[in-house]
Amino acid sequence: MSAAMNSARLSGPWSGETVRSDEDQSVLAAIRRGERIKATVHDAVHSEQHVLNIEDFSLWYGTSQALFDVSMPIPRGKVTALLGPSGCGKSTLLRSVNRLNDLIDSVSVEGEITLNGSSLYGPRVDVIDLRKRLGMVFQKPNPFPMSIFENVVYPLRIDGVRNKGILRDACEQALRGAALWDEVKDRLAKPALGLSGGQQQRLCIARAIVSDPEVLLLDEPCSALDPIATQRVEELISEISERYSVLIVTHNMQQAARVSQYTAFMYLGHLVEYGPTQTIFQAPALRETEQYVTGRFG
Amino acid sequence: MNRQATKTQTHKERSTPPSAHGEPAVWLTGSALITCLALVVVTMFIIASNGLVTLWPRPIERITLRSGEILLGLPMGSEQFTPAEQDSQRIAELVAAGDLEQAGEDGTRTRLRFRLGNRDIGRDAFVWVPEYEIVSRDRPEDAVLVERDEWGIFIGVPEAVIVRTRSTESASSQFNPAGTLSTEFGTGPALREVVGESDGIRTVDSAVRIAQGPAETLETYSEIHGSFAKRRARIRALQKSEIPSVQDKLAAIDWRVRRAQMDTDIKPSRVTVPVWIGVAMSSVGLGAVGVGLLRRKHVTPLIAAVRTLCVLLAIAGAMFAVLERPIARGGVSTERLAEVVAQADAQRQDLRAQGDGLLAEIRTLEAADETVRLEIIDPGLSRFAPAEQSRPDTPMRLSQARRLIQSNTLGFSGRVRLYLTRWWDFLSRPPGESPGDGGVFPVIVGTVVLTLLLTVTVVPLGVVAAIYLREYASQGIVTSAIRIAINNLAGVPSIVYGMFGLGFFCYTLGGYVDAGPGEAAIGGMPWWTLIVTLILVFALAAALSAVGADRGPVKGGNGLWSKVARSVSLWSWLGCAGLAGYLIWTTPYFGGFFAEKLPQQPTFGTRGILWAALTLALLTLPVVIVATEEAISAVPGSMREGSLGCGASRWQTIRRIVLPAAMPGVLTGAILAMARGAGEVAPLMLVGAVNLAPTLPVSGDAPFLHGDRTFMHLGFHIYNLGFQSPDAEAARPLVWTTTLLLVAIVLGLNLFAMHIRSRLPSRGGGI
Repeated sequence: MSAAMNSARLSGPWSGETVRSDEDQSVLAAIRRGERIKATVHDAVHSEQHVLNIEDFSLWYGTSQALFDVSMPIPRGKVTALLGPSGCGKSTLLRSVNRLNDLIDSVSVEGEITLNGSSLYGPRVDVIDLRKRLGMVFQKPNPFPMSIFENVVYPLRIDGVRNKGILRDACEQALRGAALWDEVKDRLAKPALGLSGGQQQRLCIARAIVSDPEVLLLDEPCSALDPIATQRVEELISEISERYSVLIVTHNMQQAARVSQYTAFMYLGHLVEYGPTQTIFQAPALRETEQYVTGRFG
Repeated sequence: MNRQATKTQTHKERSTPPSAHGEPAVWLTGSALITCLALVVVTMFIIASNGLVTLWPRPIERITLRSGEILLGLPMGSEQFTPAEQDSQRIAELVAAGDLEQAGEDGTRTRLRFRLGNRDIGRDAFVWVPEYEIVSRDRPEDAVLVERDEWGIFIGVPEAVIVRTRSTESASSQFNPAGTLSTEFGTGPALREVVGESDGIRTVDSAVRIAQGPAETLETYSEIHGSFAKRRARIRALQKSEIPSVQDKLAAIDWRVRRAQMDTDIKPSRVTVPVWIGVAMSSVGLGAVGVGLLRRKHVTPLIAAVRTLCVLLAIAGAMFAVLERPIARGGVSTERLAEVVAQADAQRQDLRAQGDGLLAEIRTLEAADETVRLEIIDPGLSRFAPAEQSRPDTPMRLSQARRLIQSNTLGFSGRVRLYLTRWWDFLSRPPGESPGDGGVFPVIVGTVVLTLLLTVTVVPLGVVAAIYLREYASQGIVTSAIRIAINNLAGVPSIVYGMFGLGFFCYTLGGYVDAGPGEAAIGGMPWWTLIVTLILVFALAAALSAVGADRGPVKGGNGLWSKVARSVSLWSWLGCAGLAGYLIWTTPYFGGFFAEKLPQQPTFGTRGILWAALTLALLTLPVVIVATEEAISAVPGSMREGSLGCGASRWQTIRRIVLPAAMPGVLTGAILAMARGAGEVAPLMLVGAVNLAPTLPVSGDAPFLHGDRTFMHLGFHIYNLGFQSPDAEAARPLVWTTTLLLVAIVLGLNLFAMHIRSRLPSRGGGI
């Protein structure tokens, strides 16, 4: 373990120094005590092209702070997993990207998130337009009580597209992209609620990709699914990650290991460590990370 | 093995207490449900059984009393009663004489109820006849029940058909006071009398009995009745619709002349035409700019302010253009007025000639109608049914007997046919002079039109209000207060709504529609100061609404200044709206649409179906709002988030996801509102329902739905029948029937609405 630690290059105030295990113990303890810590971000992350850049982002629910100066670039064309125990702020961070947290009255934020260089929290940003450029899939599949076809083309309809031909083509493309086309192509007019759980989740993924978003945000997409459906969705995620950059929140370590190329470990609103999945799982810089990914706590 | 043995040794007996089984609760809750159901079923059964038998044909019984009196009536049931003190002695005598049996154990006797009819010759509608007074009862075959349009039914024995003719003969020929004459309807013995003699011509009136005795009379009646009925219907059509339409046209001419006269008094506008054109065009231009800017996706606060300002200025300019129309040269000129008057005179002459022709036709028809009479005798009073109560010596006209029913010879199928015919008459004919006569057709129409108008008003208003309350308004103390106020609206007594409707809708709003605000001056200031103030306040509101714009959740974006700015902006919007309302209310150039008809005949400034529908809409508004709110909040948040995550705006989410999912609940609220509104009577008494409406609120001529007309309503009609009719006893059976009808109509409307609701695919969430 120490050899792995020695070979990793770290950035920040820790650069150039190997970290001793007893100091590592204090990272999580320090977080629990309320101290600010600097996240451990591996250099490999910086060498990628970034689609999203989160800079010193903090979020408050009223007076209690939920995210503490999170800074992480999200690479383009790759799957990035947010990992961590319950309550660590990964879902909050995800929802901050497409500003769904705006719906909660007591939320206030500081810091910056940029998408392809343009700020998401600037004063002139059109939130509706922003959400169209990001697709989101939620934990529990939430297809609308309409037909399968209407579900998939919903983002296009609200954009004003009425041409039946365009809608049909887009629907087929999205359903193929979500690996659902063969199963539902004969029953596009049937209600979406008649599909099984796994199919509904894939439908939601199809709905999310139909308007060609720049980033796909997935909030624990498989936690409500059975193992077979989970496997299919995970395969799907790997397939589509080349076209869309994917940011996935999960509490399932094995899933993160299977699906993502980059993993970020968060704890109580702080980003603790962030780097290539291989490194995080096999040679993490911090002992706490290693303890978490091997299942010794959380 | 060992462990098992230990287990059985230490196993203790446990029993669950009886209350844990829940059995008492099952019986209790079940009984409560059964009680409720029983109440509803029993109520419906009572209404149905009483309402359905009213029109069922009953036999006619002839009773001879010990006093010698003869009664012909319809048996309506019996009851036990204790005879009065003064009668008990008589009863004892009868028992002693062996004519009467002993009373039963409780000392009570039976008495029978009979419906007598024949009100116009002095009989009571209903009598109770003690059984001990009855000598004989039988059902004569020749007794008939006569259904009439006035004075209710007549029960008697048909005696003769008499035809009156007038003929002339030479005065020198011998006058024969009797003889056999033939008329177009038949031949028979005649009684003749001289009515005049001049120039050697004697005019003689003859009364020819072309049918004598019950059998012949009935046969002759059924032969010739048809043509008389047709003639009577034509007379009624002339009286009820054609002559009133000529009168309406005459009145319309008068109003037109009056309007022209009023228009000569209009002051010329203070705004000159070039100024008006300038304002109108610039407001159109500003509106175009504003709308164009509305489509831009990325706006800076400056552009937002400019955009709002443009739109508001355009609206202000449009209002100004409409309200301050330049009227050239003071309205109608004197030459034009003279033209109008001359035209009116000519039209009046034509119409009067037309009316005279119609009146002449009526006179001819009535003269022909008078010739044939029917003698139906009440054997007890030995009098025949008169043509009018004031002329008891003239027998009734044949056409007055709408139907002659030989009740005792009807078979079962005959009774059923008569029953159905009576129902059809009831539902399709207009009411007669006194309550209880005729049918309820206009009452049904009035009720249905009122309910539909009410639903069409309250559902959109309530749903939109509920959407704002639940989706857009920030859920704070103000919203809760509004919700409490709405719920309290449901508890206000309905007659208070009637008072409000009368005062506000009828007199204030209706008066405004009729005659405008009159010469309400705008406080003595120059007319343009208000316009300028309006524009300045609009500008302030627009600027502040942009400055105080929400910067989202970014910390420090919502400081005190932006809060103040937002609240000032909101209040200036409200102030502008109030000012605009005041401007509209007091504009001196709106003279009302129906001012010429005042003060004799206010159009909208009095009771009418439109105001009645609006009053009831207000009454049922809380129901719709509460039901819609519940349905909307039952839509799961995950669906809303899903829609917003796809990039839908709040309104798109509401329109495409929330509302369709909430539709079953919304329709439930609409059904409840409709049912409640259809049954409310108290407010209607003040705002529009009348005992007898001259016209239907809907008709074939534009504007098809006449909101200014009064109407009849089933609930009000029931009240009328039960408490306002001169003969409450006679009307009682009809009260039940009308109640049954009202229940059936409300049920029908509900079923229709439920059918619509069931065709919506059931969604997740909502009832």
